[in-house]
Amino acid sequence: MKRRKLLQMLAAGAAFYGPWKVHHAWAQAGQKKPLVIGLTMDASGQYGASGMDERLGAMLAIREFNEKGGVLGRRIEALHMDTETTPATGSRVAERMITRNDAAFLIGAVHSGVANAISQVAQKYGTVFFNTNSSSPTESGRDCHRVKFVWDGNGTNFNHAIVKNAMRVSGKNWLLLTNDYVWGHNTSKSTRALVEANGGKVVEELMVPQNTRDFSSFLLKIQQIKPNVIATAVGGDDIKALRQQVVQTKLDRAYAWINNQQDWPDVYGLGPDAVFGVFGTTWYYRLDLPGVKEFVAKYQKTFPGVQIKVPGNVFLNGYLATRELLRVVEEAGTTNNLAVIKKLEGRKMSARERMQHHDAWIDPATHQVQQTIYMASYNAKPAEADDIFKILANVPPQEVVDQDAPKACKLETYESTPSYEA
Amino acid sequence: MDFLANLLPHLLNGISLGLLFALIALGFMLIVGVMEVINLAHGSLFALGAYVAIALLGLKFPFYAAILLAPLLVALVGMILEVCLRRTYGKDALYGLLLTFGAALVIEEIIRVVWGSGEKQLLPPPELSGAMLVGGLIYAKYRLYASLAAIALIVLLWLFLEKTPYGAMIKAGAHDSEMVRALGINLTRLRLFVFALGTALAAIAGIVLAPIWGVRPHMGVDAVVPAFLIIVLGGVGSFWGAVLAGILVGIVVGITGAYASEWSLLSMYLLLIALVTFRARGLFGKKTVLEA
Repeated sequence: MKRRKLLQMLAAGAAFYGPWKVHHAWAQAGQKKPLVIGLTMDASGQYGASGMDERLGAMLAIREFNEKGGVLGRRIEALHMDTETTPATGSRVAERMITRNDAAFLIGAVHSGVANAISQVAQKYGTVFFNTNSSSPTESGRDCHRVKFVWDGNGTNFNHAIVKNAMRVSGKNWLLLTNDYVWGHNTSKSTRALVEANGGKVVEELMVPQNTRDFSSFLLKIQQIKPNVIATAVGGDDIKALRQQVVQTKLDRAYAWINNQQDWPDVYGLGPDAVFGVFGTTWYYRLDLPGVKEFVAKYQKTFPGVQIKVPGNVFLNGYLATRELLRVVEEAGTTNNLAVIKKLEGRKMSARERMQHHDAWIDPATHQVQQTIYMASYNAKPAEADDIFKILANVPPQEVVDQDAPKACKLETYESTPSYEA
Repeated sequence: MDFLANLLPHLLNGISLGLLFALIALGFMLIVGVMEVINLAHGSLFALGAYVAIALLGLKFPFYAAILLAPLLVALVGMILEVCLRRTYGKDALYGLLLTFGAALVIEEIIRVVWGSGEKQLLPPPELSGAMLVGGLIYAKYRLYASLAAIALIVLLWLFLEKTPYGAMIKAGAHDSEMVRALGINLTRLRLFVFALGTALAAIAGIVLAPIWGVRPHMGVDAVVPAFLIIVLGGVGSFWGAVLAGILVGIVVGITGAYASEWSLLSMYLLLIALVTFRARGLFGKKTVLEA
């Protein structure tokens, strides 16, 4: 009797469910879980400001896709945890996102030590990780991984664009001011190599510990050494403090300053006086290119309350990286990590799509995006309050390729990379 | 001789830096000494001082009025914190630590909500900014004025503690609070006043250092760690110990910054380890009963 009743119930259930399971909405609700993307971005520490900026970029791309119905018919869910500009936190966050939150992909990093830590965890699980904004040459060299893709220009790319010109204009005796961690070390190493290869001399290298707030002893030492050029590889809150103190002492006028890369959140709000010397960047909000004005307007409409009123390079990298990942997943028709990786390797991206002057591509040997590098300086004739950069030149990616990266990068094989489908 | 000539600017810079460190530590020391509370919110109050000054300047207050008014407003916040702390007095020190740690997080978050997470600037007026030549080297004028302000505040605080009846009460309160109460002094009011004074000093330090360090919500962390270190180094509760330790830390940081720059931040911790190894109670700390 009981068995018969059970069979009757099952039959009734099947009769009810049968027609519904082919109905699109019901089928989706029943089968398609959201696609979780882990945003491994700093909200505190040296790169807290940049981390929050790139997070907005990623959120904009996710919002655009969700408005179109998500990706592969799945809603995209962003999960953010603060990586605190600390490598150990980066590892912990990545491990947690992958194993407990089922994050299909990880996006975000500014500090190279954090990026390296996240990528080691990501490689262990085969999780595709986009390093959006950290630019140590080691990220696409010695510390490259099959699952990791590097979206920013690296220290060597920027050096290629800037060093030769600065030597010709300012002189051959260089002093390096180096943030004492992986990005600073490797960027200055690349600067030193280029300076020496072009007949220049590094007269001194001063290491700047992370979180240095008082640069007075460094500034006194610089004056005692009297170099022709000071090349800084100092980032985040440290470069903000350095800039303020250089301007206070008017040393910005006494020496030629080269800042390898100037991230927008690190200089925004300091006022035009704090921008000095020559520096590299990958984008500027007033580039006279198709789509730039519309993109700036979209940013301002989407994020009306944010302190940074116009988007910069860090925001754009967060946006472009996330958008490209979602496009690739859609094109691949699967979230399978190896399929996504293969689609990304060698991928070409048009200049128009990226709002830069030259086409970009992902180097299959290093997984680094090869892109336009801009040389910039202080803008003496700003068109508006935020117009603080003057773009001096744009250099095509072919001219600034980091030749050492492919020699140092040993990508893991596909076979040794765990495969998964999210 | 050349070496000494080269060293001299770094030594002077170290002393100037040390005076600023001492300024950060004094308010912290006052609260630790009298209240026996390690105020972990000291750094956040330091940051709040800078932000309130910026807000007042935004409201078109004159510069000098803003930097005088801001510490008073922050002192009010300190008084509210002291009222919250009252239930922890006489209990395990952990309660006070946890409460002030929570307060630090709350104040930092309020700063983020009100002023945003981005960088702010507190620019000194033109007469205090610019550069000057010292021994052929360019030095920021503001840094000299900041050091002079630190000296003035240290002297004023010392005069207040040593030469006024209120100072005597504070010192007595630090020594034996029960006896002070027995003498008819309102200990509750005394503690409230000391906390207000300590937080006002934190705010003043924040305002003085803002044009040098820049202003950001988490700048308090950069202040509270050296402050804590200086108090231990100088000997807990010792006024001149804190001043001397601040100067010592400044000199060590300044000189390592010039000659072994990668050690410049670490040097203050190494100094602490070295000193505490040989003199656990710090430079001017009193012997405990167990040590006697």
